Amino acid sequence: MRNRSLWPYLLIAPTVAGGAFLLLYPMLKAALISLQHFRMGELIRGGAEFIGFGNYAELLAGAEFWQVVLRTLVWTAINVVLIVVLSTGIALMLVRLRRGMRLALMSALALAWATPVIAATTVFQWLFQSELGVVNWLLASLGFESFRGYTWFADGTATFAVLVILVVWQSVPFAALTLYAGLTTIPGELYESARIDGGTGWQVFWRVTLPMLRQLFALIVSLEVIWVAKCFPQIWVLSQGGPDDATTTLPVYAFKIARVLHRYDLGSAVALLTVVLLAVALIANLRRMVRS
Amino acid sequence: MRRLTLNVAALAVLVVTIFPVYWMFLTAFKPTRDIQARTPSFWPASPTLEHFVTAVNAPGFWTYWRNSLLVTVVAVLLALVVALLAAFAVTRMRWRGRGAFVVMVFAAQMAPWEALLVPVFIIARDTELLDSLAMLTGVYFMITLPFTIVTLRGFLAAIPLELEEAAQVDGCSRLVAFRRVVFPLLAPGLMATSLFGFITAWNEFAFVNVLIIKEQDQRTLPVWLSSFRDVFGTDWGATMAAAGLFALPALLLFLFLQRKVGVGMTAGAVKG
Amino acid sequence: MKNRILALAAVFALGACGAGPDTTTGAPQSSGPAKLTVWIMDGSVTQELLKTFETRYEGAHQGVDLDLQIQPWDGIGERVTAALASTDAPDVIEVGNTQIAQYAASGGVTDLTAKVADLQGTDWLPGLAQPGNIDGKQYGIPWYAANRVVVYNKDLFAGAGIDEPPKTRDEWLNITAKLNKGGNQGIYLTGQTWYALAGFVWDEGGDLAVQQGGAWKGVLDTPQALAGMDFYKRLQALGKGPKDADEANPPQHEVFAQGKVAQIIAAPGIAARVLEVEPGLKDKMGFFPIPGKTADKPGTVFTGGSDLIIPVASKHQEQAYEVVKALAGEQFQTELAKEMAFVPNRTSLAGVLAGEEATAAMAAGAANGRATPNTPNWAAVEATSVIKQYMTAVLTGGDPATEARKVSESITKTLNSGS
Repeated sequence: MRNRSLWPYLLIAPTVAGGAFLLLYPMLKAALISLQHFRMGELIRGGAEFIGFGNYAELLAGAEFWQVVLRTLVWTAINVVLIVVLSTGIALMLVRLRRGMRLALMSALALAWATPVIAATTVFQWLFQSELGVVNWLLASLGFESFRGYTWFADGTATFAVLVILVVWQSVPFAALTLYAGLTTIPGELYESARIDGGTGWQVFWRVTLPMLRQLFALIVSLEVIWVAKCFPQIWVLSQGGPDDATTTLPVYAFKIARVLHRYDLGSAVALLTVVLLAVALIANLRRMVRS
Repeated sequence: MRRLTLNVAALAVLVVTIFPVYWMFLTAFKPTRDIQARTPSFWPASPTLEHFVTAVNAPGFWTYWRNSLLVTVVAVLLALVVALLAAFAVTRMRWRGRGAFVVMVFAAQMAPWEALLVPVFIIARDTELLDSLAMLTGVYFMITLPFTIVTLRGFLAAIPLELEEAAQVDGCSRLVAFRRVVFPLLAPGLMATSLFGFITAWNEFAFVNVLIIKEQDQRTLPVWLSSFRDVFGTDWGATMAAAGLFALPALLLFLFLQRKVGVGMTAGAVKG
Repeated sequence: MKNRILALAAVFALGACGAGPDTTTGAPQSSGPAKLTVWIMDGSVTQELLKTFETRYEGAHQGVDLDLQIQPWDGIGERVTAALASTDAPDVIEVGNTQIAQYAASGGVTDLTAKVADLQGTDWLPGLAQPGNIDGKQYGIPWYAANRVVVYNKDLFAGAGIDEPPKTRDEWLNITAKLNKGGNQGIYLTGQTWYALAGFVWDEGGDLAVQQGGAWKGVLDTPQALAGMDFYKRLQALGKGPKDADEANPPQHEVFAQGKVAQIIAAPGIAARVLEVEPGLKDKMGFFPIPGKTADKPGTVFTGGSDLIIPVASKHQEQAYEVVKALAGEQFQTELAKEMAFVPNRTSLAGVLAGEEATAAMAAGAANGRATPNTPNWAAVEATSVIKQYMTAVLTGGDPATEARKVSESITKTLNSGS
């Protein structure tokens, strides 16, 4: 009996050990850095000085930080809603498709997913280029003359929109394929009985699919929230957070501070506050996990 | 009629999904002269392999290729094994601290890896692990592990416990029951998660950029992918050719897993 | 077992106190054959020239194994930072002249002030020597420079009946307007070619940022700077350069190679790139210095280029210096300037540029070369692209005065954010 109760701890031991050295320890170090005067000089020479909560005070007192937080919220909400809705639609579509078409679509999704971020981002940059881009060419050919030579990256909202399209395009494949895999584990009898009971397509979705996949949906929503909120290279390559900071989300802000200005101390503070904000945003999910 | 609508919609999704990828490959096959042409052409008028030649002949290509494969495969397999153990403990056993553990794992996904670059660098420096693939593998393992656990846990939880119990009643031990009954059902989950881990580790650039300094032979493919650029701009033909080659392993992995696992078959197994 | 864990924890705890590498005592000199690692940026030197240098150097210095590593541009800032912070850094690193200040200020770069005389530093190019000099100490050793000239398509010039390059800005606008006909572009100037803007601003008597009583101040909102921007806007309108992109994306040499663009602003080294794309343009490319306000002197240009630094964390300080000396010496400088169309690091060596149209145009402009503000945080202003975004805003119809005030505030904030 005693032996049996030791098993779970043995099973999680590798996870705990890995996490302690490669995650917890760096996190503690980051926390320490955020309480120090730690810039490029301290990184190179060492000898950082402890300054308490000065970095946090500097951040929280400025209006800029809160603007960035708000922008990150909007950015995350728009992207996650689009991703979840589209990928659910695609997953349901996949289940209903015949084998050939299904395989084609799944391969296309895998292809989009596997495309390196830098290549995908560059391609999007070209597609939306003002003079030589395909999107403007297409829109102008379709009669929208105002898009001839339209400068997408000169306008904050337009740049934001292009980035949303890019991130949704990159994120949908994972969510759709995972949901599809989940859908295939739902026993067919459940659908059959629901249909015998006279359920329409929507009703079947709400009564059978959603409850069966509740956990998977919760998982995907929270993962996408985390990933979208932390999304960085796409934004940096396309706009460096501009124009006029219109696309400066928290990770971009942290990068500007830490790796461009070399204020690792303040950057760590931003990163840790981001974690706290994410945790707050996902608290419902965390609670549910403790209960289950 | 319904089937037609469905197929048309699927086709639309397919086109939108594939177009940027198609554009990437198209650029890779176009002579440099045609890449910046004023009217876009959707088909290479005079396809060329020169960009692929440039990409493959770039210094270090084969070394980086080997390093990437090594680091990625080790990190992903390690993460899968470690995660499977943890996910099993979480979904199939009751123990004190389980809730806390799950929350910690979930929270670990929020780890601000970009901001951990400096701490990880300092740790590697102080433990003399700079310029070593081991440290890199460790980091990639850790980046993918929480996700792998969380997803595997989701998939495991979705598999009814009764299936296992039925097998145990039939005289199988718990381990055998797991392997024979649960493992096949878990296959799609393993597929999705390992593919995710593979793509994440395969694409990672920031850590290899600062953890591998002097020993250039220890660098990985993302370094190669970013190397077709100089002061005058990027050689986009070569970069796109490189990106195509770079995406290939993940794609092959997907197709392989897809065939091996056969998602449809699994669904059938549950039904039967 | 428990003890060992405690010991391990203690090791980590020590590390966590931020104990960096011990740099106060200087790295020990190792004896015997030394492997020297030298970082050179991609595109600075051809493989063949590097090979020649390596063979010659190793022949002359017994027991030295040179490892010349070509560095890709992406992520180079972080990589150099990491190298300086490591315990076993590369021995010599090539660093862009606008980037040195931040590294020197961090304390990770060896002070080479004592070597200036040995390197004949009396006639170094100011645009390279000044950025390498922080608070009177020479950290960066000038390596090579390149400044931008106008590269033009001789056929299109002839077709428009223009047989002489312009001498003044007004002439320049006139001929460019003439060239901008039919399917041809008078000039392909992208909206974010900010080094060109810097030149125009300097010509008007303006600046990017100035130091006032210890603090830096962005000054793109002065009337002089606005006049520079206005000229840029008029010039930019005489072609189809995208207003929201820079010259590297898409690479302007690929656009120029199409044969429909009369002029681009670029370093002369770009000619080789154009020929790679379109060999048919051989002998069809001409070069002239960027015109100034008056005919008596060409326009002010930004001096781009590189310096060499030795990290404090290099374990072979003396041998590293010998390599720097050879790379910055007359023989290699002459070879480099000829092969790559660069300006050598000393004005007395500029003679090697004569005779070649491209490099002569560059040398004429180089006399009026200037560098970006010499402060550690200037690199951050470049990295965040604020000047580029300002240019795009003005070119797409924004109010110049308002936009200029915004960007100046942003520059002021960045430059004063401490380090």
